[in-house]
Amino acid sequence: MTKPFNPAIRDFLDGRIWLRMHTPFPCEEIDALLDAGDIQVIKGIESKPSFLNQKRHLCNRCENEDSTRFTTFNCAKCEGPCTYCRQCLKMGRVSSCTELIIWKGEKPEYPTNHTIAWQGTLTPHQQKASDELIESQNKRASHLIYAVCGSGKTEILFPPIHKLLTEGKRVCIAAPRVDVILELEPRLRAAFPDTKIEALYGGAKPTMEASQLVLATTHQLYRFRHAFDAVFVDEADAFPYKADATLQKAVQKAVKPGSPVHYVTATPSDKLLSEMKKTGFVSIINRRYHGHPLPVPKFIPLWNYEKQIRKGKLPQKLIDWTENRLARKEPFLIFFHHIGLMEEAEPLFQLIDPRIRSVHASHPERKEHVQALRNKELPGLLTTTILERGITIPNVQVAVVGAEQQIFDKGALIQIGGRVGRSADYPTGEFILFHNGITYAMDEAKAEIDKLNKGGVRT
Amino acid sequence: MNCLLCEQKLASSPSWQLLLAIENTSLICEDCSKSFERVDIKEEDDVVDQVTSIYTYNEPMREYLHQFKFLQDVALAGVFANELRTELARKDDIIVPIPMHPQKKIERTFAHVEEMLTAARIPFEDLLIKKNTEVMGEKTREERLAMRNLFSIKPGSDVKNKTYILIDDIYTTGTTLRHAATVLKEAGAERVEAVTLIRAER
Ligand SMILES: [Zn+2]
Ligand SMILES: [Zn+2]
Ligand SMILES: [Zn+2]
Repeated sequence: MTKPFNPAIRDFLDGRIWLRMHTPFPCEEIDALLDAGDIQVIKGIESKPSFLNQKRHLCNRCENEDSTRFTTFNCAKCEGPCTYCRQCLKMGRVSSCTELIIWKGEKPEYPTNHTIAWQGTLTPHQQKASDELIESQNKRASHLIYAVCGSGKTEILFPPIHKLLTEGKRVCIAAPRVDVILELEPRLRAAFPDTKIEALYGGAKPTMEASQLVLATTHQLYRFRHAFDAVFVDEADAFPYKADATLQKAVQKAVKPGSPVHYVTATPSDKLLSEMKKTGFVSIINRRYHGHPLPVPKFIPLWNYEKQIRKGKLPQKLIDWTENRLARKEPFLIFFHHIGLMEEAEPLFQLIDPRIRSVHASHPERKEHVQALRNKELPGLLTTTILERGITIPNVQVAVVGAEQQIFDKGALIQIGGRVGRSADYPTGEFILFHNGITYAMDEAKAEIDKLNKGGVRT
Repeated sequence: MNCLLCEQKLASSPSWQLLLAIENTSLICEDCSKSFERVDIKEEDDVVDQVTSIYTYNEPMREYLHQFKFLQDVALAGVFANELRTELARKDDIIVPIPMHPQKKIERTFAHVEEMLTAARIPFEDLLIKKNTEVMGEKTREERLAMRNLFSIKPGSDVKNKTYILIDDIYTTGTTLRHAATVLKEAGAERVEAVTLIRAER
């Protein structure tokens, strides 16, 4: 017979790896469960001697092993050299003298009754991909959904997610960018009205409930361990996930051993595509759900645009394009490669229309401005690549200023173009690449879009 | 190496200055460095003979201090090492950091002012003891004025008839510095100045 305990502690800790000193529960209750063996303590940082008096460190929360991401200092608490991980610092520092806890007791049971309230129907392409994904999940094998922007890839996930939920399984949808999570949350809440859903991103408060469906930025998965029966990574090719090995490890750590990680993207890297062909399964959708082709980029030279903007003058072609959008009352996004240049251009655009605003990753009003564009309170936004994916605004028109810049690789350009013509009411639109010279990436992006439109795929 | 604040790659310039260790490498990138705003004020005060502050308390500085002190990112102690060294390149004056209460120091796991001086390789004397754990920002002006001295001199230390320079991260109301200067002067210091990294608006 075990003593009764607060089930909220189990529901919260199961699948998580948490700082002992920062749980939302009283210390005595945690201590009692530790004594009972339901909670296990793990050292924050594992240090092993290496050659030449150097030490190798491992962060037990984010599994970072990169020596440049650790700092050792003289600690006043443990009175000696103490090492902490800078990789996951923002979630509360983990150092040598920090204790992490995991749940070892009985597992929570998740309900098996879940309504799916989504009213739409899948196109035959979507249905096929959805069925194939379920088949892979049954085999516990990884699956890649390679579906063009606007093909309705979230809806493809509804049947497999519903099936997992009704089996009492726990599911996570992870995305590198918080914007994607914010866009997914209301759609999933609407689709699964009876399911306990939690959205986790920097600044969001965790609920105390045992959420069966978790939406999380990939960063948040640092704090999970062996938690899910399946993780779906949306936009796996987006920064920072694609360049950050610790985020990739975090996803692998978050699934239960032997459970699959699935990927969904319009622009898989060659590496992901070939890996999935070898070790998993791939479904390809090269048609948008409304059946119209993808917008093809138009290249327009904008010589020395940077110099002109820095001198306080907007290139005439850019003024004309913007005025045209305003006259036709079409919402627009203009992408820049550099915040500084965008902010110098902002007052120049405001001479055309004072309501035009700019947004970037750490802009305090980023969410509000995007919402204002949706509500038609703002006519258009200047943006960095932060809005290249995840956002859907009916009839939006898109231009890139400086498409030749390195940050606009093939994937980024295809994603940016993917913002255009998404709704069935407005299936076409402008996709302009203003440039100071045509790059391979621009040519490749155009070639891939042409190929997809002709029914082909990248192999 | 990456910028300690924004993680972008630092332009590496293996110049002869670096090889000869004449120039000190920066831990942060030029963009982050430019985001801090110099203020360079020198003020006189009735107790502290001169207070020098280097930067304003703008948003990037607020974020820096948050990451350093509250997220406990000790690695950031050296971000302003060059600036502190330049400011403190004086001959015989004795540098004294404003201490933390011992209990607070254990909670934070480090004393942030001492770490900044250590990272800048500036020798200092640990002369003061903080007596209570009160936080200045939570007090009204009346409460601050009525407070008994926050500091005492460490037993067995020898305060000479010399100039002492107090170091603190931020200057807000000046109460902390005045208390520290008072005990030093009572113990025999001839002159007490102060250097703070940041000058906050009152
Ligand atoms: Zn870590
Ligand atoms: Zn320690
Ligand atoms: Zn930086």
